[in-house]
Amino acid sequence: MDRHAAPRGDLLVILRHPPHGTSWLRDGLDAALVAAAFGQTVSLLFQGDGLLALLDGQGRGALGQKGTAATLEMLSLYDIDALFADTEALARLELRADELMLPVVPVDTTRIAAMLASHRQVLVF
Amino acid sequence: MILHILNRAPGTSLVYREALAGMGPEDRLLLIEDGVNGALPSQVRHFEPVSNRLFALREDLASRGLVGRCDETVQVVDIDGFVELTEEADKTVSWF
Amino acid sequence: MRYALLVQGAPYSQQASHSALRFARAVVTRGHTLDSVFFYHDGVYNAARLAAPPQDEPHLPDAWSELHEQYATALLVCIASALRRGLLDEREAARHGKMGHSLKSPFELTGLGQLIDLGQRCDRLVTFSP
Repeated sequence: MDRHAAPRGDLLVILRHPPHGTSWLRDGLDAALVAAAFGQTVSLLFQGDGLLALLDGQGRGALGQKGTAATLEMLSLYDIDALFADTEALARLELRADELMLPVVPVDTTRIAAMLASHRQVLVF
Repeated sequence: MILHILNRAPGTSLVYREALAGMGPEDRLLLIEDGVNGALPSQVRHFEPVSNRLFALREDLASRGLVGRCDETVQVVDIDGFVELTEEADKTVSWF
Repeated sequence: MRYALLVQGAPYSQQASHSALRFARAVVTRGHTLDSVFFYHDGVYNAARLAAPPQDEPHLPDAWSELHEQYATALLVCIASALRRGLLDEREAARHGKMGHSLKSPFELTGLGQLIDLGQRCDRLVTFSP
């Protein structure tokens, strides 16, 4: 496979929000899981502070609110393994792809447009 | 061609950068809601990379008193034009 | 063309619901089919049966219901988002032992799978977020 070709798929879910502060991340992950359960090919792109979803050591909130780390660990069970991280966000947050809890492929910002074009549907959360 | 829809102003949110990064060479950008503040001459420079493909929703400009203040490079469309833009695009992506 | 909308903004707090309603009316005016509106996240409050906005403001739940009556647009409410926020139809209210219900037809509680189905089935899915 051409490693420079944009990944194709039925649905691209873009996750821009960090965990806990809002339910956007959880809602986006739920949409991705349901799409995968319906047999769609799903890719996830972590952008901006959405990357913080992939940090190790997350837990529940002080009142026992569920976080998203457990859901992220379930992605592979749903055959969602096309995980991408915006290199610009990685640089801004001073994170390396190999220190994140899941294996993500860094995507250069200049290649993101092609990624959007090559998925039939794009949902931003 | 994708129609990107942006409802945040560059003065209050940086999401416009991600919208721009997601835009291919033919894609179009429509500013709605608070996004139309980006059509002001002082703000429109943020959208310079897509200046010939930048649209703003007339009714959101009008309700904010911005119709006459909109930069001349911005193409103003009414709600019917909004639907037309979605007809012409293969799909839409909403940034918020 | 066949359209579907995804609405994620809370009515009256954010413009998203108003924008979506304006767009919905323009879609049908241009002769398209508006198959469904899917309410997710805080958008589920659009289905609040007891909403009582002042008379000089648009009544969003009623306006959506009219759209359903005129154009048979399905009004689909994500059940997971709705139950958390206290939006229950008669059946769910009974199941959870609640006195009243806060959501009624033509709004219908449904799963996220319906949204995915709309994405596959419709020519355009347009999202209105807060």
